[in-house]
Amino acid sequence: MKLVSLFILFLSWLLLLIYGAYFLISSFSTDTITLAARLPFSTHISQLTLPDSRLTTHNSQLITHDSRFTLHASRFMLHDLRFFPSLMADTQNRALHLDTIVYDSTNNIQSASDTLTYVEKKQIMGHQNPWLWQVNYFGKSFKLVNALIVTIVISTVSMIILLIIILLNRTRLEREQKLRQFLLEKYQSLIVEYLYGDVVSDEFLKIASDDFRRQVLIDQIIDVSINLKGDTGEKLTMLYNQLGLDKDSIRKAYSKKWHHKVKGFRELAFMNNREANAEIYNALNSPNEILRMEAQIALVRLSGENPFLFLSELKRPFSLWEQITLYELLVQHSLPVPEFSQWLDSPNPTIIMFALRMVREYKQKNSEPKVVKVLSHQEAKVKNLAIEVVGDLDMRSSLEVMKKMYKNEDYHNCLEILRSMAKMPEPSMLGFLKLVLDKEDDVQLQIEATRAIENMGEVGVAALVKIMKSEYKNYNIIVRHVLDRRIN
Amino acid sequence: MAFFFAHIIFILTLLIFGSYLLLGIFSALALRKYLRKNSYINYNSLVLSPISPRVSIIAPAYNESKNIIDNVRTLLSLYYNNFEVVIVNDGSTDDTFSKIKDAFNLVRVNYFFDYRIPCERIKGVYKSKDPSFNRLTVIDKNNGGKADSLNAGINISRSPLIVTIDADSIIEADSLLKLVKPFLEEKEHKVIGTGGVIRIANSCEIEKGFIRKIHLPQKMLPRLQVLEYTRAFLLGRMAWSHLDGLMLISGAMGMFDRETVIQAGGYSIKTVGEDMELVLRMRRYMSEKGCKYEVTYIPDPLCWTEVPSDLRSMQKQRNRWTRGLIESLWTHRIMFFNRKYRRLGLLGYPYWFFFEWLSPLIAFAGFVYTAYLIITGHLNWSFFLLLFLFVYTFAALLSTWAVLFEEITFHKYERKRDVFRLLAAAFVEPFFYPVHTWFAVTGNIQSLLRVKAWGSVKRKGFEIKKKAKKKPAPVTGAPR
Repeated sequence: MKLVSLFILFLSWLLLLIYGAYFLISSFSTDTITLAARLPFSTHISQLTLPDSRLTTHNSQLITHDSRFTLHASRFMLHDLRFFPSLMADTQNRALHLDTIVYDSTNNIQSASDTLTYVEKKQIMGHQNPWLWQVNYFGKSFKLVNALIVTIVISTVSMIILLIIILLNRTRLEREQKLRQFLLEKYQSLIVEYLYGDVVSDEFLKIASDDFRRQVLIDQIIDVSINLKGDTGEKLTMLYNQLGLDKDSIRKAYSKKWHHKVKGFRELAFMNNREANAEIYNALNSPNEILRMEAQIALVRLSGENPFLFLSELKRPFSLWEQITLYELLVQHSLPVPEFSQWLDSPNPTIIMFALRMVREYKQKNSEPKVVKVLSHQEAKVKNLAIEVVGDLDMRSSLEVMKKMYKNEDYHNCLEILRSMAKMPEPSMLGFLKLVLDKEDDVQLQIEATRAIENMGEVGVAALVKIMKSEYKNYNIIVRHVLDRRIN
Repeated sequence: MAFFFAHIIFILTLLIFGSYLLLGIFSALALRKYLRKNSYINYNSLVLSPISPRVSIIAPAYNESKNIIDNVRTLLSLYYNNFEVVIVNDGSTDDTFSKIKDAFNLVRVNYFFDYRIPCERIKGVYKSKDPSFNRLTVIDKNNGGKADSLNAGINISRSPLIVTIDADSIIEADSLLKLVKPFLEEKEHKVIGTGGVIRIANSCEIEKGFIRKIHLPQKMLPRLQVLEYTRAFLLGRMAWSHLDGLMLISGAMGMFDRETVIQAGGYSIKTVGEDMELVLRMRRYMSEKGCKYEVTYIPDPLCWTEVPSDLRSMQKQRNRWTRGLIESLWTHRIMFFNRKYRRLGLLGYPYWFFFEWLSPLIAFAGFVYTAYLIITGHLNWSFFLLLFLFVYTFAALLSTWAVLFEEITFHKYERKRDVFRLLAAAFVEPFFYPVHTWFAVTGNIQSLLRVKAWGSVKRKGFEIKKKAKKKPAPVTGAPR
């Protein structure tokens, strides 16, 4: 809300600036009538050629009769009026007093474009505005001067408004913090008495009189419910429903504002209320990533038997952040763990990656055939993760596959293949690894290949001893690096 | 001539003010989205998650003897599950290295060093014998400057994400969690870098490398820089990130995709503005490769640093910033109004060119011309006063705006008195503009003269309120 008002304030400021700039530009160029291509050193008013019928001369004055216009001589007075004192414009009377235009001999008039101008009057800045009309224009474009004055006034007023907002905001924060603290303590003791004593739900209603207080109560109930199970947990849920707080949460879930929806989803998920499940399902493919994630989390909690069903329906990318959050939920709430291999052939690569990670975390080794199949996935990063997972889970049927794919893979996948081979040392790979060590120039690839050989035990060490004697490359330094256990 | 000074400068002023307002709008939008989004985030799930990506923190240290032990301890105790700390001793001439070696029980390891990015010779890589410090790696190398040290650290790190910091910065305990999040949220666009807000630690109470109590700087000069930093970080960079035109991630702390940094060639040792230059080069590299990418920015305060508290030190720092800016802009001049680089080429680069580099020079010319008019008696004083009021009220308003942003977002200054003092500083700050302009001009002159010095900043050291023991001065320049 505060940021919205800031936004509006900024916008109005910007409009004002554009408006000012427009005035400035218009004062330079528009509606200019050249009275004389180049005025002689001394020109009497009566000698001026007037090209427009809206201009006349009378005694020592140049006058305009068109009320929509005002006379203006800004171009002559760019830097100092004192050079041209006779050009002071009496804009009130739409007349210029210029008995004789006399140039100061020390000041060379810039060019033949020097003109007397009259400029179209704008409603806001024009002389119909009594407040602005009284200002001395210092010999400058009155529109520019007015724009500057208006800007200064608006700046000052805005500043005062902002100062007030800052102060009010600070006071509000302090007040809310105190009130929240008081309410939290009060609710906490009431909840304990309600659960284990004889306090009835009506007691809460006396305090939870407005939205802020009700929200604090919901937050507190959720906070307490995290650590409660069984009858007491159910009793707390009953309190939540009796006080009509569930209606508050449902209302939030159906709100048009996404951040209210998120709050609603969270509360309903915590309180195991499924009344807004339809709305939560709708949010599952929302373009708003936060809403989508909250919907996923809520559904995991509210879907009962198959909490990860939504993975099959998810079309948008499933970010690592979402994956971490979901995994955390799975661990924290001891939810039933499904066979994640069922998503290893998902059309959504990010779902496959999540499934791979979960297969690894829950050590679902029976997924080996499907995981090995993912090694031939078309996306490099999916393949990379699959290579990592086969190594972590010691899925040895992947070794031959990886050996074959090595030459066609990018640098990162090659590196990961070697790391995986190091995790599941297999003497049958010795020839391949020696070849890698021999052919590859990259330090990391050499190190990983050496490590894979070294992990093979006696066979590997014997091979390394032989390799170290080679003069083809300086293998000693690589082997020493690999053998140093302090390097992780 | 007269036309130039009367109109061009004025138009430029209007454009600058207009751009600030636009940035303010975008910043407000971005902040609103960020705050709403993150009010629901539970970072705890990241702290212990086994699937969070590994991060390497790289901290170059040159003659940091007095603070190094506390700083390393702080780094080792950050909230995150999967990270390593790489300290690069950049040929310190004091006892920085021996202190750290003794304190953490370090021994040399047989490291086969991979110079993927060129850097000065590595004398040795050290690890601790104590398993509780197994996250720590120390590189001892020949002196080559901050950029060179960072390159050495990047070479040795084995994590997909790297965090580069100044060894003398005080890092917030949860900064890694916040910095890593944009990388975890990556979708179609690869996140190549993330920056955050750098706060000013002058006058704050610091204990064992952590900020214990936050105070507004006592001295006016650092206090004015608080305003400047708040404006730059909360109004400027937040908006540029929203507009996909962010060109600078502060050298004090930033997280990068290691592979992109290496592919782009690492930090440049030819510039004193290596932080800006790296971001520009990474962006250029990604654009030229045709990759979808983004550089993100978070408004959370990530680390605290000490800023110069005297004019001489500040001049050195600002001169360096100006030289860095010029060098970065010149190196990547191909981006200027180049559609190939999207908004960065069409908006971000021209903005820095005109408003960050050119405008102080034009402003300086304006000051000189005004002086000329005063001396020759040609100054229209009443109009001058009007223009001054216009600029002054607007500048003060922008600073008040920045204070408001700070108040409604993170309000780090708990005492009301500090907020009032900050607001009072907002009214003093516009008078300080000519000084900034002068620093920018001297920076330009130094750049023309090809001055390469880093310009070490004399620091007062962080104050420890508990019986006012002053920590001695760290060395490297303050972050941008």
